[in-house]
Amino acid sequence: MKEIMVYTERCNGCLTCVLACAAAHAEDKTIVGAMAAGVPGRLFIQAVNGRPVPVLCRHCEEPACVAACMTGAMQKDPETGIVTNEGHEQTCVGCWMCIMACPYGAVVPAPGKEKMAIKCDRCPDRDVPACVAACPNLALAFIEPEDFARERQKSVATALAVEAGVPA
Amino acid sequence: MTSCSACSAQGTCVSAHRSTNEMYDRTRAMGLATIFDRYEAQQPQCGFGMQGVCCQLCSHGPCRITKKTDVAICGATADTIVARNLVRLAVHGTAAYTHHLEELARTIKATVAGKTPFKIGDEAKLREIASLVGLDAKKPAGELATALADIILAELRKGSDEPLALVNLLAPKTRLEAWQELGVVPGGVLSEIRDALTKSMTSIDTDPVDLLLTVVRLALAAGYMGLVGTITIQDILLGTPSLAQSEADLGIIDPETVNIVAHGHVPLVATAVIQASQDPEMLSLAKKAGAKGIRVYGSMCTGQELMQRSATSAKGFAGQLSNWLAQEYYVATGAVDLVMMDMNCSIPGLKTVADRFHTRLVSVDRIVRMAGVEDHVDYAPEKVAEQARELIKMAITAYKNRGQDIHIPPYKNPAVAGFGVETILGALGGSLDPLLDAVKKGSIKGIAAVVGCTNNRNGHDTRGLTIMRELIKNNVLVIAAGCMSSAAEIEGLMRPEAADQAGEGLRGICQALGIPPVLNFGSCVDIGRIGVAVTAIAGALGVDPAQLPVVASAPEYLEQKAVVDGVFAVAFGITTHLGPVPPVTGSELVTKILTQDIEGLTGAKFLVEEDPEKAAQAMLAVIDSKRQALGI
Repeated sequence: MKEIMVYTERCNGCLTCVLACAAAHAEDKTIVGAMAAGVPGRLFIQAVNGRPVPVLCRHCEEPACVAACMTGAMQKDPETGIVTNEGHEQTCVGCWMCIMACPYGAVVPAPGKEKMAIKCDRCPDRDVPACVAACPNLALAFIEPEDFARERQKSVATALAVEAGVPA
Repeated sequence: MTSCSACSAQGTCVSAHRSTNEMYDRTRAMGLATIFDRYEAQQPQCGFGMQGVCCQLCSHGPCRITKKTDVAICGATADTIVARNLVRLAVHGTAAYTHHLEELARTIKATVAGKTPFKIGDEAKLREIASLVGLDAKKPAGELATALADIILAELRKGSDEPLALVNLLAPKTRLEAWQELGVVPGGVLSEIRDALTKSMTSIDTDPVDLLLTVVRLALAAGYMGLVGTITIQDILLGTPSLAQSEADLGIIDPETVNIVAHGHVPLVATAVIQASQDPEMLSLAKKAGAKGIRVYGSMCTGQELMQRSATSAKGFAGQLSNWLAQEYYVATGAVDLVMMDMNCSIPGLKTVADRFHTRLVSVDRIVRMAGVEDHVDYAPEKVAEQARELIKMAITAYKNRGQDIHIPPYKNPAVAGFGVETILGALGGSLDPLLDAVKKGSIKGIAAVVGCTNNRNGHDTRGLTIMRELIKNNVLVIAAGCMSSAAEIEGLMRPEAADQAGEGLRGICQALGIPPVLNFGSCVDIGRIGVAVTAIAGALGVDPAQLPVVASAPEYLEQKAVVDGVFAVAFGITTHLGPVPPVTGSELVTKILTQDIEGLTGAKFLVEEDPEKAAQAMLAVIDSKRQALGI
């Protein structure tokens, strides 16, 4: 199953992903509309000594947020693997257990709404999540984790080969 | 941070200065967000902007050059976008310097007409320059001054096809030839600004190399009019700087006086206010309000201008508080009654802090405006005597509203100001030879101009001070101007006693002459004064500036005036170090031209190095290679 994978070293902090996420969740689906309505992005670029680091929901296999949710609002779809409270928001009571449980800080209170949590829904209506499609640096990829790992193995192998003196 | 002795009692180390760290603790405890907080809140910053590859000129934009697309919608490449953005920065810097010069020219004319409180401060310089530009130097001073001011105004306004007189008259011949070959000898400054702005519009000049040459043209126009022209006319009006003893840092604030801060770059209103503050009527008003007296402090470059003339036209100046990054903190002492904001460098954050106290912000230049500031006493030469009294009365009114919540960090250092060609010649007995001999013998290895802004990207003043200390330790005489002067004053590097921190050769020279190892050349516009000094040294030795063991550093450059200053220095033949990485790295071509290829054209290049120790080493290497080439 495809996941949003992150190449942290490629991120340059432009926040295009955050804007694209907000637009995807805005009524008119535009960046300007999202900014005017105060629609938040659902992934986060944190700075560490000025260097940008993307932080986003991993849609965990055993999601701590789902386990912590006492009303059953937060659920993991067994088919798509998406973890979300969307479709069940009416049961959310704003206890923030999901926020406390998430090890990534990927769940946040919805701004302006009384006591409701929001998080990445991995854009269920799109082939590729909006953030991934928008990233100009190719720092986000919607791929099979195996493919990500294989790519990394290859680049590490190249470096190891040079170190070991293996002829190219 | 390398200056750990600067940490506050609470361990805060955002600045190289203990006073700033202590004040930052205070603003945080008050819940007041200031510049260091806002800096953090802006992280991370967009990499496209940092690399200069974001174009917002037309409504197709913003376009960025990314991994997915190597051209903008119009087809502009990273090279075009970066170079075009750089032109626009250079236009801003040039325009701001021009404003300063125009204010001076207007003031000279009004002064001759007897309508200002100023007097012609340096008649000898007036006659010298008048004769240079072809006026009959035997004419009465007033007539000459008016004619010179008219020439300056005409030079500013003439066409871009008419070469600037001051470039032809003042530039070393070897330089002039190099610039003529490149086709960058500028014409009238306002015309150059018009041309450059037009070129940098969407789809007019999209050739990155021509755009970079345009930056050089602007920088030469800014250099010879905005820098050299401005200091010359300012010296004629307010007097050429002379050696003066002053003090710096927040500890100079007297809690018992009416306290006025002159903040900005153009010292005209401030000079009038210092003079008016000694008027018995003003003093009696202050005393009636319960104050001991009236004190006028400096901040930014206006303060440096006043300090270097504090033995003459700015007699009574109370000392320098701080530089750009620290402006909110002097207000947060609670003991500043009024800030006169003249042209450039008053940040909007100042208003938030001023509102927390009783401090009144007043714009004193028609082009300075700040949201929420309603007091405008816009400088008019003919009215400035009355405007100065009005400002003092406003400060006294504010003083009466001063609260009890006052904290003045108890730190200050003495500083010597007023260096320039004239004072150096005076100290050396009328000839540059003793200095040149020391350089030839190697007791002074070279000269480094450490100038320009302060910038939190590198840690407030930390990088600049580290570079200065490294250089003097290696027997390089440092001359400082702009915000870097404040940094050095506050940390005591502009006291003769600081010779102790210099290497043996430089220490000996400083002790023999009684001068500090870091010479205070004044404000950022006094970078022109450094240009004049380098021209004189090159002339005395019969070599081109690019051959001299002289380097420059803008270790914490911040804004657009610094952009033209830096390009001017490189065009002049002085290799220039930059601390913050300028927004050009998105273009390989522009980066390569500025850091490599330009050396083949002007004899100098930009050295970009964020690590201050490595930067000092790189500057020393340049000095060594120039010494070697000269055979000394």
